[in-house]
Amino acid sequence: MDFGLSPEQDILKTTARDFFAEQAPTTLLREMRNQRPPYPADLWKKMADLGWMAIAIPEKYGGVGGSIHDLMVLVEEMGRAAFPGPLFTSLIGGIAIDILGSEKQKAELLPPIAAGKAVASLAILEPSLSMGADGIALTASHSAGGYSLSGTKLFVSDVEAADYLVVAARTGEGSGEDGISAILVNVKSAGSRLSVTRLDTVPVEDYYEVVFDGVVVGESAVLGQAGQAWNGLNRVAQIAAVAKCVDMVGAGQRMVETAVAHAKERVQFGRPIGSFQAIQHHCANAATAVDSARLIANKAVWMLNEGMECTKIVSMAKSFGADSHRRVTQLTHQVTGGVGLIIEHDLPMFTYRALASELLFGTPAEHRELVAQELGL
Amino acid sequence: MHFGFTPTQEQLRAEVKAFCEQELTPEAAAEFASGVGPGPAAKEFYRKLGAKGWLTVSWPRKYGGLDGSHTDQLIVSDELEYQGVKSNRVGSSMAGPTILLCGGEETKAEWLPKIAAGGIEFALGYTEPDAGSDLAALDIRAVEDGDDYVINGSKIFNTATHYADYHWLGARTDPNAPKHKGVSLFIVDLTSPGITIKPLWVLSGQRTNVVYYDNVRVPKRNLVGEKNRGFYHIATALDFERMFPCGGIRRDFHRVVATARETTTNGRPQGKDPLVRQAIAEFAAELEVAELLSYQMAWLVDNGTVPTKEASMNKTYVTELEGRLGDLAMHIFGPRFMLREGSKWAQAEGAGAWNYLSSYVSCIYGGTNEIQRNIIATRGLGLPR
Ligand SMILES: Cc1cc2nc3c(=O)[nH]c(=O)nc-3n(C[C@H](O)[C@H](O)[C@H](O)COP(=O)(O)OP(=O)(O)OC[C@H]3O[C@@H](n4cnc5c(N)ncnc54)[C@H](O)[C@@H]3O)c2cc1C
Repeated sequence: MDFGLSPEQDILKTTARDFFAEQAPTTLLREMRNQRPPYPADLWKKMADLGWMAIAIPEKYGGVGGSIHDLMVLVEEMGRAAFPGPLFTSLIGGIAIDILGSEKQKAELLPPIAAGKAVASLAILEPSLSMGADGIALTASHSAGGYSLSGTKLFVSDVEAADYLVVAARTGEGSGEDGISAILVNVKSAGSRLSVTRLDTVPVEDYYEVVFDGVVVGESAVLGQAGQAWNGLNRVAQIAAVAKCVDMVGAGQRMVETAVAHAKERVQFGRPIGSFQAIQHHCANAATAVDSARLIANKAVWMLNEGMECTKIVSMAKSFGADSHRRVTQLTHQVTGGVGLIIEHDLPMFTYRALASELLFGTPAEHRELVAQELGL
Repeated sequence: MHFGFTPTQEQLRAEVKAFCEQELTPEAAAEFASGVGPGPAAKEFYRKLGAKGWLTVSWPRKYGGLDGSHTDQLIVSDELEYQGVKSNRVGSSMAGPTILLCGGEETKAEWLPKIAAGGIEFALGYTEPDAGSDLAALDIRAVEDGDDYVINGSKIFNTATHYADYHWLGARTDPNAPKHKGVSLFIVDLTSPGITIKPLWVLSGQRTNVVYYDNVRVPKRNLVGEKNRGFYHIATALDFERMFPCGGIRRDFHRVVATARETTTNGRPQGKDPLVRQAIAEFAAELEVAELLSYQMAWLVDNGTVPTKEASMNKTYVTELEGRLGDLAMHIFGPRFMLREGSKWAQAEGAGAWNYLSSYVSCIYGGTNEIQRNIIATRGLGLPR
């Protein structure tokens, strides 16, 4: 076994950490939350210059040709920085097109995504909130020269910043895995039959309801084979779920460091609060939670990277990771006391963000159900 | 033993409920639900509560109370919380009881009737940047000067100072005495020259404040209780702050249960999911226990006990229960948990994330849960310090 990173990954990690520390301090992130769209264009450009949107896109489509593992190294640093906005969305969107698209589609769509000139956002979840194939009810009915899409998607990220949506839709009969297609919808040119409403969430990131009321697209909008997209979509969702795990590990690590630093500095009753065993145990429990979540997340990363069958490990990692992260959030807030609750402090941003990481791409309960199924129950 | 309420008490609860249905305007309800604190409508509502005597049920009639029991007060507060009214006012639940216990007759006659009538409110002025859990370390100075004290220094996390009328202030009057023995309590008019109040917002959307004192003059008669005994007076009052009505949690729990009953996931009502049923049932038992802890507190006080250990158990239990209600709602609502009231697709009137976030706050203020556990262990169980 080898629990470490490659030298190249170490460099990526350091570069990303330094970049976020310098270019995206938490003060800026708090401002960004109130901006529409939330990204300063120059920041986006700098990340594009570093090749981050391109990281997991093959070289022949203008990408860097990195692995899933490389992508996760970047995502962990994003988590550590509580970095919001379309970068995560773009990374997952790029992977979706790479996995689902035909050669021709990839050659056309991926280069602008890799260059940071276009963003594709994944639209799977519907009001049923089920992450399985049975949750896909949005219909794409075939008519002369194309498809007409009707239905609702929920919690689609960064739609205002996106150029495309990758929509999971039913082109066939039934409710199973067969007959699900991935359809590319151009947000900017879809017209009035596409309505986008920003959801009022706790201040995490940008999530939307997208309603399709007979949105018409051409034949070529189907990514890959019509009716055959479920496996690919499922793999994208697995990668996204593991990315959320890794993001939580990065965030959790930062929260623990913040709490430990506070415990060393803050003096009450004439001594650093970190000398009280109650506080030491909180810190120890939080650190153990992050370290253990990191192990199982990394194992999932490795299995994804190796192309192994990984339904069970992904679901174990996501449910374990979400529960651990909630614990880390609670414990670190206890340690930091009143000061850690003030919105100008670093912690609340992580606390808000934790909710989305824990709940999207499968809730802990859904993932535990999948683990049970994998165990033959 | 008798675990029920008397018919009179049942009637009292019903009266409070009917009163709220009649008098609680949408404006007042919105002010209570906001994190900014009561505005004009909510203040008007408090005056009406005061006229009923319901802010101070257990106080003597001569000070505007009803000569009732603490149990009766808790019944009223509990029902008010269920109806969305913030029942724990600083004046009636903290400052007033301290004045009753520790104040001189003149102080009582001057302040208690006004507090009972609901026309004035206090803000709690204990915490300072270097005095949080270690309250006795507070350092704001009050120096005698003629008929006044002159106060200099600053406070942090003094919630309510932006809408209250008076500051219930702990200040150091003897810098040379051991730290517990040099603190006094003052009532300070918040409009006094030299006071500056700056907002501070916490993650659950509630406003609290930083307060600066720059040569603020306070008449000597506004010193409450004994000079330099303030820390002991404060400690007594904190036991009262910890009598936690669970009405708000109960209401949100009912909303969550209703949501589980009404929401269908893939053709099945969520309430039919065995996991959801287990989690809801588990919470119901925990809530029952929380309520019993609170009513036990009231009963102990009614019978002449100062329930230090029980107060701390009550505080940790109820505040952590609030967090577990968040966990429960998260489990049932899934990603919709993140949505705020008013958002499309929000469930149970937003009884999700904001409650969950406010439990982070509750576990810190009013004495952190670690401090409560220290109290349970040392004062309650006699473990060595
Ligand atoms: C929203 C909000 C509203 C508030 N409103 C008011 C108000 O109106 N008036 C007012 O006066 N104050 C108010 N407070 C302040 C509150 O009472 C303090 O925040 C609280 O007492 C903790 O103090 P601290 O924040 O300085 O944390 P600290 O005391 O620094 O504690 C940090 C951590 O160390 C732990 N710790 C400290 N000492 C010990 C020990 N001996 N053993 C074990 N662990 C220990 C704590 O439990 C905590 O986990 C409010 C706070 C908040 C967040």
